[in-house]
Amino acid sequence: MKHCMILVDVTKPSLSSDLLEAASRIYQDEAYVSIGVFLDPSCVPVKSPFDILCDFGSTIESYDALNFVEACGALHQTLNLDSILIPATPFGRMLAPRLAMHLGVGLVADVTDIHSIEGALEMIRPAYSGKLMAGIVKRCDGPLMMSIRQNTFTGEALVDKESARITIPFNRHADCGITLISMREKPKTKDIRDSEILISGGGGIIAHFNQLDRLAHVLNAQVSASRRVVDSGIAPRKIQVGQSGKTVSPRLYIALGIYGSLQHIEGLKNIEHLIAVNVNKDAPICSLADLVVEGDALEFIDRLTLRIQQSEIQGG
Amino acid sequence: MKFICLIKFVPDVEDFKIDPVRHVLVRENINQILNPDDASALAFALSVKRKHPGTIIEVLTMGPLSVIGALDDLLRRHLDQATLLSDQGFAGSDTYATSVILASYLKDQSFDYLLSGTHSIDGDTSHVPSQLSERLSLPQMSNIIRIDESSLLSGKPVVDVDHESLLMSFQIDQPAILSLIKDSGYKLPYVAYDDLQLDVSSRIKILNRQDLGLSNSDIGFEGSKTMVNQTFVKKWDEKKKQVVKNDDAGIEVVYQYLKEQGFIK
Repeated sequence: MKHCMILVDVTKPSLSSDLLEAASRIYQDEAYVSIGVFLDPSCVPVKSPFDILCDFGSTIESYDALNFVEACGALHQTLNLDSILIPATPFGRMLAPRLAMHLGVGLVADVTDIHSIEGALEMIRPAYSGKLMAGIVKRCDGPLMMSIRQNTFTGEALVDKESARITIPFNRHADCGITLISMREKPKTKDIRDSEILISGGGGIIAHFNQLDRLAHVLNAQVSASRRVVDSGIAPRKIQVGQSGKTVSPRLYIALGIYGSLQHIEGLKNIEHLIAVNVNKDAPICSLADLVVEGDALEFIDRLTLRIQQSEIQGG
Repeated sequence: MKFICLIKFVPDVEDFKIDPVRHVLVRENINQILNPDDASALAFALSVKRKHPGTIIEVLTMGPLSVIGALDDLLRRHLDQATLLSDQGFAGSDTYATSVILASYLKDQSFDYLLSGTHSIDGDTSHVPSQLSERLSLPQMSNIIRIDESSLLSGKPVVDVDHESLLMSFQIDQPAILSLIKDSGYKLPYVAYDDLQLDVSSRIKILNRQDLGLSNSDIGFEGSKTMVNQTFVKKWDEKKKQVVKNDDAGIEVVYQYLKEQGFIK
């Protein structure tokens, strides 16, 4: 039976199901045991979608790579791991390479897809800012190791089960050389280039441009605009997206009533998710979109804002 | 104080064009630039040296001999030394083999801090600084946006780290590997006009596989634990596009999409 270790990030529970989906892609029909590794023993649940829940007896800080590799090395000695999956969070991306070097195995970073090619497992990852995709294969003994890009593997909803529980002792180093001094929320920036989510308005919403703020508020987003809106004097130049404005790379771009002229598209770079709302579903912006909503932008703002507010109330 | 700055010259991604017929990258006439995060790390070291002229800065890179011109250009900014690890056998090294090669040099060097970038714009695995930390048994931190200078000089540097929606501050024991990102805002100065023709050739050290005592099985393809099997251009036209109406059902699709992608809690 194969053993697959999955590092659990308790601050992002959804990543665990992503990594379990990646594991099922690796093993397909082959039977395997999933081992959810928790760095804080007090966070280990009773039930989980994992077969085995593992901790190391005491807390390992998420930036303490030194003790992490010692602990995982001990786990590998106990269970002889066949694969190790780490979420590609900022700390995950620090822990994974150090563990790979500790175990003397190869590592593939930021995997977005996995498939078999002529009997070998190929891991797909972006390179050159996503302009090129690379298929990587492992060529060494020891566990298959990869970090999994966030939000790329989504499978079916997982059912919790009674998981077995193990605690792995390891030789703890007293001092990892790194001490956390403080932690604070980042100050909100006003520059649209720093925004994770942009609610962007064009000619189709020009008469109700101020309504964009409502949707931006519930999504914790910033408002940006197309050249047409800025040229008409309704929005300031500093929030203009496009060749004559700013180039933006938010994770989510919601284009409301934006036609998508070439000069506007030039300002969109490496956007992960694009939702276009337009009365014309064949407008050029829609060809770039993951999701197209055919209809009036103001009506969309009303409906979606309401839907999000309703769920907030229900969620307490 | 001595810094060794790990740097890498990379193809300028902005220049990349895609052959519209064959769906491959056009690699001809691509400029090589200093990786932006690495430039920030080096710029930080230079800013310390400006205030404390006794500071020693060495840059370390691995690559072909053709990068010597670019190293000259960096040395004219008053670095003390550039070390180039260059050997035809190094070609094809993955991050593992690269870390083995770099560590074979670094293990015999004395320094207070190894400075590096966090991301590279070509491979962007961020593996090498963390892998070096294991081989050299040093603490390492990525995504640094600020290094507090006074604490650095006292041997217990305090660094600010960009961690998604959080700003975290850590104190790190010296010696350490500190990996910056370009958002730190440390900018490399231009070469002074009077220094444009400065002869810096005596400050470049070139070492090959024999100098480093490495065997063929440690380096290049043989020393690599992973291999690029194929590369391809993502076909954007295959993007799965969903079109919905602006009604309750359509809004529900949008709502669930935002939720799945983590934009709504």
